[in-house]
Amino acid sequence: MSDEEHHFESKADAGASKTFPQQAGTIRKNGYIVIKGRACKVVEVSTSKTGKHGHAKCHFVAIDIFNAKKLEDIVPSSHNCDVPHVNRTDYQLIDISEDGFISLLTDNGSTKDDLRLPTDETLLAQIKDGFAEGKDLVVTVMSAMGEEQICALKDVGPK
Amino acid sequence: MCQEEMEGGGGGGGSGGEQRDQETLESVRSALFKTSISLDEKRFRKIAGYDFNQGLDLLGLLGSFSSTGFQASNLGDAIEVVNEMIDWRLSHEAPTEDCGEEERNTAYRESVEVLVTTAGGIEEDIIKCLAPTYKGDFSLPGAHLRSNGLNRIGNLLVPNDNYCKFEDWIMPILDQMLLEQTTENVVWTPSKVIARLGKEINDENSYLYWAYKNGVSVYCPALTDGSLGDMLYCHSVRHPGLHIDIVQDIRAMNGEAVHVGLRKTGIIILGGGLPKHHICNANMFRNGADYAVYINTAQEFDGSDSGAQPDEAISWGKIRGSAKTIKVHCDATLAFPLLVAATFARKFHKIANIEP
Repeated sequence: MSDEEHHFESKADAGASKTFPQQAGTIRKNGYIVIKGRACKVVEVSTSKTGKHGHAKCHFVAIDIFNAKKLEDIVPSSHNCDVPHVNRTDYQLIDISEDGFISLLTDNGSTKDDLRLPTDETLLAQIKDGFAEGKDLVVTVMSAMGEEQICALKDVGPK
Repeated sequence: MCQEEMEGGGGGGGSGGEQRDQETLESVRSALFKTSISLDEKRFRKIAGYDFNQGLDLLGLLGSFSSTGFQASNLGDAIEVVNEMIDWRLSHEAPTEDCGEEERNTAYRESVEVLVTTAGGIEEDIIKCLAPTYKGDFSLPGAHLRSNGLNRIGNLLVPNDNYCKFEDWIMPILDQMLLEQTTENVVWTPSKVIARLGKEINDENSYLYWAYKNGVSVYCPALTDGSLGDMLYCHSVRHPGLHIDIVQDIRAMNGEAVHVGLRKTGIIILGGGLPKHHICNANMFRNGADYAVYINTAQEFDGSDSGAQPDEAISWGKIRGSAKTIKVHCDATLAFPLLVAATFARKFHKIANIEP
């Protein structure tokens, strides 16, 4: 049986896993948590002590970092929750295609073309306008749980 | 007041004063010693307590309650009413040819058919199979108990840990119920949930286990008002979608009364609150119960339904005007075991009637 387990482990992704476990009682406001498979940022935590409802519980209110939906969860404070690895990377904006895809310049000189324009209206307007005016733009791409999205924009052109 | 003293007091003045004193005496005497009607001993029982010279005889002691007075007499009357309920069932409901095996079994026919209780009445029964409740004291200070994780119910203590065990036990069952709801189209109602819990606990110390085994319906419209509700709440946040239909249960509950037909209904109500009203209300659908026994400590002066006497229920049609009713003003922990001993348990152990 142990051979099988070992075999199973080696099939996992060679790279970093998407989440890591953390005890629910240690997750604070502004931290990250996975709720129903979505990476979320915690906006509210309240704990209720052990009582008639059973084990002490943490009540999380969190916002999905990609689609801004509000999600809730109640977890016994001694249980482990999944916390997503959230990475931010900067890329230079090269092009915006007609069907809404973005072309970005990566560190090693190749292009990254699989990202769409962000859905957030302000950000979308900033990118489109900035690009149209020919500005040098650097976008910050947030990635977590295998999903990516542009979350910020910087103008690095000459003043 | 001693007659001699009165006469001695009249001695002092002249003959006119003596005459007046005699008249006063006569009127006082006729007021104090007003002739009483004689009481028919068939209607008015003579008061006499239990004679412990007879030894320690449980049924004899219970039998003596009727003539002991106050609430003991009320309990004695309650015992009579319940025995009448059971006897009516056995004599008037002779098994018909086409009735089932279980109907024929006398034990079944003597038993209770419908139970109504609170959420606490359900969960505490289950929890006691997982971990014990302890005897404490009414005066234990609340803050101190809280810091030690002990919950007080009167003079009983329930450790928090008991509810943790209950949570660990019930969550997988709720998951399973949700699964059955979505895949097998099971419509859950409080009584179905309770039957399932009785099945799952599978412990002879649980009355819910026996209710499940014997097909006795247990209704609890306010199933969420207890630790069960907390569990349902927490469960639904993680796995939403479980529905519990109270409409179907009120159909079933009132149906129990409606489909009684030519039989009779008898109600035994311990305490007040929701179960008391729910039971009485259901009986309204057959124009009132035929027997009613209340055992509670509530008073009627505040207009509460809990404290309402059987006569108030008669005004609603929840109990028949012709019904045999009695209210025992007593805590059920005292009165109910005694009531059961003198009625159901006595019948079960096949002991002859305790009445002299």
